[in-house]
Amino acid sequence: MKRPLAISLGCLLLLVVSSASADEADNATRAAAARVAVGTCASCHGPQGHSYSPKFPVLAGQHASYLVTQLQAFRAQTRGDADAVGYMWGMSAPLDDAMMAALADYYGKQTPRAGPTGEPGLLARGKDIYQNGDSGQGVPPCAPCHGPGAAGTDAFPRLAGQHRQYLIKQLNSFQSNMRNVAIMHGVAVGLHLADMEAVATYLQSLGPLP
Amino acid sequence: MQQTNRISRAWILQLLLTVAAAPQTAQAVPSFARQTGMACEACHTVFPELTHFGRMFKANAFTLDNLKQVRDIDATKQEMLSLANLPPLSVMIQISDTWLKSPLPDGTGGPGHSQTSTVGFPQQFSLFYAGKVAPHLGAMIQLTYANDSGTIGIDNTDLRFANQIVLPQETSLIYGISVNNNPTVQDLWNSTPAWGFPYAGTNAAVSPLAGTQIDGALAQDVAGISAYVMWNEALYGEFGAYRSAKQGVTNPITGAAGPLDGTVSNVISGAAPYGRVAYEYQWRRHDLELGVYGATFKLYPGGGTTGAPALLSGPANEFRDFAEDLQYQFIGDAHLFTVAATHIHESMRLDASFATGAVTNPTDTLTTTRVTATYYYRRKWGGTIGHFATTGSADAGLYPAGPAPGVITSANASPDTRGWIVEANYLPWLNTKLSLQYITYDQFNGGSGNYDGFGRNASGNGSTYLLLWLAF
Repeated sequence: MKRPLAISLGCLLLLVVSSASADEADNATRAAAARVAVGTCASCHGPQGHSYSPKFPVLAGQHASYLVTQLQAFRAQTRGDADAVGYMWGMSAPLDDAMMAALADYYGKQTPRAGPTGEPGLLARGKDIYQNGDSGQGVPPCAPCHGPGAAGTDAFPRLAGQHRQYLIKQLNSFQSNMRNVAIMHGVAVGLHLADMEAVATYLQSLGPLP
Repeated sequence: MQQTNRISRAWILQLLLTVAAAPQTAQAVPSFARQTGMACEACHTVFPELTHFGRMFKANAFTLDNLKQVRDIDATKQEMLSLANLPPLSVMIQISDTWLKSPLPDGTGGPGHSQTSTVGFPQQFSLFYAGKVAPHLGAMIQLTYANDSGTIGIDNTDLRFANQIVLPQETSLIYGISVNNNPTVQDLWNSTPAWGFPYAGTNAAVSPLAGTQIDGALAQDVAGISAYVMWNEALYGEFGAYRSAKQGVTNPITGAAGPLDGTVSNVISGAAPYGRVAYEYQWRRHDLELGVYGATFKLYPGGGTTGAPALLSGPANEFRDFAEDLQYQFIGDAHLFTVAATHIHESMRLDASFATGAVTNPTDTLTTTRVTATYYYRRKWGGTIGHFATTGSADAGLYPAGPAPGVITSANASPDTRGWIVEANYLPWLNTKLSLQYITYDQFNGGSGNYDGFGRNASGNGSTYLLLWLAF
């Protein structure tokens, strides 16, 4: 009777020790990711993921699962828009899965904020497209996937507060299939440039959901 | 008096040679792209002008690498080795043709003229080691063959150590050390002399007599060490010192590489302090830098022979250089725009040369101002327009009137030179640049017409320069 108890205690001890060392490893990876984010990524993506230049997307508050998917696509060289090729294929090459997850977690936990607003007419048109789509152009509404406040979900990225020019560039990349995502190609293929600008201006102006 | 003249001429000749040898080029190095896996545009607007990311890559000692590494660690998991599988080597070739507006007198002293066009094939050929050396150590070492010297020699070299810590509020503090051979070659902005416009220039035209010491006069002739910090990728401070490190100079007694003695010109007395402070502010696609930099060089004129000694002791010539600089960049996807400017003021206290009569004033001043504006469309088509001016006190010793046939002389002992530079560029690929550069002078060595006292006009020194610049 004593032997099973000893084995159980031993297993419990082993579990505690291995769990502690896993936490240690996670903590170490998280700390390393924070150093990489502050020391390297911030040069383009800005402090806490709030990039200055619209050439580089805002990462603050982005869903970690979406960021991991993108980092994996950069590393696999399957995301082919111009800045992905020029910048992120190289930057993602040395990242292992644990570091990608830790970086995504770091940016996911940063507080998002609203970007500059735009001309009221443009905002209204953008909001209309976002919520209702444009059946005349064959453009479905964005809200069902990206959420009512464009806060995104685990499967679909947060768009609220993103740089207007960055969003327009991505829509163009989806349209031309340079960034090859079937569902977004279908959405963007009928979208006119003026409407891209409208919806991007609206999305940039959105802050975090209350 | 004869001795004085010899010293004066030797010193002036050395000054001329050093000014003429000042680096005309700055480089972009493809091995950095190979190391990071990132395209040139990550670090450069158009090579060699740096973007903010490029500045941070340099401040971090060129160590960002995305290549598979040969590694070693010790028992505490401390990284002991991190080597790329392939050495970060690059090649640069410049092929050029230069047309002078007015031909130069024939060097034989006869009535003819030299050719007006000079082909450089290559004008310059460089081999770089540029990249990571160890976990926090990187280097940019350039070995150059130039057609004017016809020899291979060490060019701009910058060995760096850097590390960074994350401060509270998640701000970064980069700290590092640079060991280099050209004051400002370690700088991060393209508004300071070593990496300022023009990034490439002819070596087959006439250069003005005057230039400040920090403006390339001591390039590859010194060794410096400086420590720097950069807070939050915005505030930069650096302090260091330079000693003479002459290339191709030997001790006349032993024939060894040193020690330097009075036969050598412009040897730094002790160590020359160098300092730099700059602040960079980013908003949207804009980036603005304001800064100051400077150094004080105490130089022994030297250049004496055993029959006419010029000792490396006693009074020296002191050059105090203080400069302001500014850089503004707008980096759009289609349109890129840069303004860069610097204003260098030099105060000279020429105790050594005045004592020997090599200069006419005990003190002189020299001020250089350069302003350039650059535009590129999609990093493919672009150009730069710039204005430059050097003004200062007249001194017949520094800027002599003779001898014939003139050209590099000044009839009124003035250093004043002003002019414009215009350059058009086409880059079929990011590492290939075709340039057409035009320089025109309103004033040269103190005058517009007959500036040299031998009938040559300032405008005659204008040049047109066609360049093919490859880096791979």
